Amino acid sequence: MFKKLLLLGIVSGIMAAVASLIYQKVYASSLGADFAAIVKIPGIFISCVLGGVLAAVGYWLLQKWLKTKTEIVFNLLYTIISFASIVGPFAMKLPLEAEMPELFPGLTVPMHFFPALA
Amino acid sequence: MKKIILSIAALLTFGAVQAFTISQSWQMTNAYSIKFSSSSSGGIFKTCSGTILFDEANLGGSAFNVAIEVASINTGNAMMNKHAKSADWFDAPKYPQIKFASKKIVKAGSGYQVTGDLEMHGIKKEVTLPFVFSGKGTAAVFSGSFSVKRSDFHIGEAGGEVGDDIKLVVAIPVVKK
Repeated sequence: MFKKLLLLGIVSGIMAAVASLIYQKVYASSLGADFAAIVKIPGIFISCVLGGVLAAVGYWLLQKWLKTKTEIVFNLLYTIISFASIVGPFAMKLPLEAEMPELFPGLTVPMHFFPALA
Repeated sequence: MKKIILSIAALLTFGAVQAFTISQSWQMTNAYSIKFSSSSSGGIFKTCSGTILFDEANLGGSAFNVAIEVASINTGNAMMNKHAKSADWFDAPKYPQIKFASKKIVKAGSGYQVTGDLEMHGIKKEVTLPFVFSGKGTAAVFSGSFSVKRSDFHIGEAGGEVGDDIKLVVAIPVVKK
């Protein structure tokens, strides 16, 4: 069961990373705000896969602890954590040479929900 | 006698011309850098303009008139930028520029000191700022580092996370006009 969950976490993470990359391309081409030097491809993959793996471990632990209603509690917790994590992009200090820092949260906040959606 | 009078007249004319000679005019390039930092935050101003007249041999005819666009502030964080431009801090819509107009430039050690009026947040205050001029051919750089007290200009609330002393590091590359 744990292996299956772990695999699911990794696959979800990869899917979220691909969605994030597509979103990044669309965002940069439509708004002209390119943050590719700050939000790098390896960083996107690592954080998304890590998010997926942590979610899998969390689900497994919850399942062991709660026995029932794991899915509801997990979904609720994951959504809350995803919402809480958007503080990061808002608080992040970009390099001073980065143009239009006000558009940075618009890129990264949706990305924080992709692992949960995947 | 006539020769002496003519010589004195010539000397006086030369002196007067020297006193009123306008110094070399310099044009700012886009590579300027205006950085500020305090105990807890820092950033840059991205837009600056002005006129610079400077001649090491004629400091009396030298003058700086520089304006920095407050709205061009960049701290690297969008929320902080918005806050810095708001009425709580610089109040950019009401006071869109930080202005400096020199009154006197003197030699000080290996560099110079410029005394003039610094106007920020609607408050004008006389300050003396040290700077270094390094020129080579038709290009040169004016650079300086100094501190101002934000409380002197009523910028932000007293206390809080941001310290009262704001350090500014300025480098303005110029070319001869």
